[in-house]
Amino acid sequence: MTNFDQELQQKLDALPRNKAPNRDLWRGIELGMEQPADEAVKPASRGGLYAIAASIALVACLSWFGFNRMPVTPSGQLTGTELVQALSQQHEQQKQSLLVQYTDTPALTENWQAQLTELDQAANAIKAALNEDPDNTALLRMLQNVYQQQIALIERVHAPKWQQI
Amino acid sequence: MENSQCTVVDAKAAFTTAREKALIEAAQSGDKQAYHQIYDAYVGRVHALSYRLTGDHALAEDATQEVFIQLWRKLGNYNHKSKFSTWLHSVTANITVSYMRKQRGWFQRMFNIEGSAAEQFHAEASTGEVDLESYIVRLPERARMVFVLHAIEGYRHEEIASMLNMAVGSSKAQFHRAKQLLKEWMGYDND
Repeated sequence: MTNFDQELQQKLDALPRNKAPNRDLWRGIELGMEQPADEAVKPASRGGLYAIAASIALVACLSWFGFNRMPVTPSGQLTGTELVQALSQQHEQQKQSLLVQYTDTPALTENWQAQLTELDQAANAIKAALNEDPDNTALLRMLQNVYQQQIALIERVHAPKWQQI
Repeated sequence: MENSQCTVVDAKAAFTTAREKALIEAAQSGDKQAYHQIYDAYVGRVHALSYRLTGDHALAEDATQEVFIQLWRKLGNYNHKSKFSTWLHSVTANITVSYMRKQRGWFQRMFNIEGSAAEQFHAEASTGEVDLESYIVRLPERARMVFVLHAIEGYRHEEIASMLNMAVGSSKAQFHRAKQLLKEWMGYDND
């Protein structure tokens, strides 16, 4: 055994077994305990169906715009930039509507707004990239994916789908 | 004298075990107060493991909540054949890993930037008293998870590979990577 292995083992043995969380977690746990597992799964399943439906719609949209309409046309059809704007506007409306709907519902995690902000930053980064390359369908898919994650996050923290052990 | 000391220790341990068994059985019957006492007794351990696995305070706290909510639902599966703490550690590791898969930052998932924090830390590594905990949480994600599960929790690489959905060889490689980084950070790079 090398000196490093010995020191590492000593440090491992000395690691504390307990580490108290910085905040009281019991309230959120109690809320989660009160929610029957069956009821918790149903909204999430519906959310899943909506996500699938949204994905199908997105693929159809992207295929249509990607192969037929992406180049700017003199007839005034939607450009990539206009599609991004439409997607963003629609998403913002859906997001705001959900946030209003859940105003009085306690969230089970405290950092969900930070995650929401992180996703906002991701969306902004993609939109900036799309600004440079408006017809990039891969970027459009990524933007749609981020938007879906935001919606899923808002729904999950207010109506959690508990994982199975 | 030694015998009497042993008897006292055994009696204490037996009392603790009996009390814990009674609390678990009460919680299994739906007693939330008993479950709260179990939570109070084990939240530190669960959170410590979650923190080491996630390397992030907020994620670890969320994962800890998730563990105790699921535990309440699955407590009936515990049959007292193994130690409760052992079973709880196993449940905690599985749920935290699963939780991390769902909650990892979007950028990290899309662009796989797990190594950047470690590289940055390399530049900041200092000499002086080694705080292993702070080194562990700065390891790249996969290396950290494998290291925590193998070196601290005692899982075999075969079990870790299954838990983390990776090849056994990858688990061993990540463990080696973690050890190499720790070795460097602990000032053994010229060994």
